Amino acid sequence: MATTTATITLASADLLSDSLSLSSTTTLYDAGTTTGLTQYDSGRVKIPGDNNIYVLLDSTAAAVDKGNRVYVVNKNTDETHYVIVSIDEAVLGRLYGGDWMFIPWSQADAAANLEIKAPNEVNTVEYAIFHEGRTFTGA
Amino acid sequence: MATTTATITLASSDIADNSISISNTATLTKAGSTTGLDQTSGLRRRTFTSMSTVKLIDLDHYQDQTLTEDKAAKVYIKNTGTSTAEHVAVGIQNGAGALEEIGWLYGGDWMFFPYSAVWTSAAHANNQDIDVTPSSTDSVTLEYMIIHE
Repeated sequence: MATTTATITLASADLLSDSLSLSSTTTLYDAGTTTGLTQYDSGRVKIPGDNNIYVLLDSTAAAVDKGNRVYVVNKNTDETHYVIVSIDEAVLGRLYGGDWMFIPWSQADAAANLEIKAPNEVNTVEYAIFHEGRTFTGA
Repeated sequence: MATTTATITLASSDIADNSISISNTATLTKAGSTTGLDQTSGLRRRTFTSMSTVKLIDLDHYQDQTLTEDKAAKVYIKNTGTSTAEHVAVGIQNGAGALEEIGWLYGGDWMFFPYSAVWTSAAHANNQDIDVTPSSTDSVTLEYMIIHE
């Protein structure tokens, strides 16, 4: 078993009348257990700016209803560039240059792919998925 | 303008032969600009004791319901519990009125994601609200916040 942690810190001195300082750390476990996730995949890709929807991460039978976690960051630095992230065409939101996201991804069914679309510009995206396993395709 | 930052650190010394350490900080800005997001729901807290699906983030509750539409809002949700056996499923309406599951938050888990939901009607048919469904009737408390423009 491995020990992997994810920590978020949200901070602002002026969003509210008092400072915002929120921090939370979670340990990434297999679903319903205290056994740490032992597998991960990661990568860096350029998403064409052609407004087509692409599968960034494919839902896989072995990962359905498991403790998968996904991290995605848009590495473009231009604040006007963005990608649209969706699951099975249900749009979550826009990741502008420099934005990141971290979500559990239960891959509810075979169609629950993590999809991405860049409407205008090529966007460089980095991602990592921590998971319990995936279904391999035969050669 | 406000300056709000979100920092993530992913770390493991043993998930692979070499350690993993990923860290990134995003400054939360309005869509397509360098102006900081300046509005928020504040940190909210709700406790659930049934397995019913409930609207956690209801666009009807926000003044001028188009405030997230195709913009750069961000959502933070945390399961404040300690159970590693029970979870809360988090989903988003897909714009066609169906709920698309995103993932499961076990005790201690958190998520942070962009939210560009489109409000269409008070009937919620296609509002892209955020819904949650606990996996048990045991009491579970979620903390959540939306930061928007």
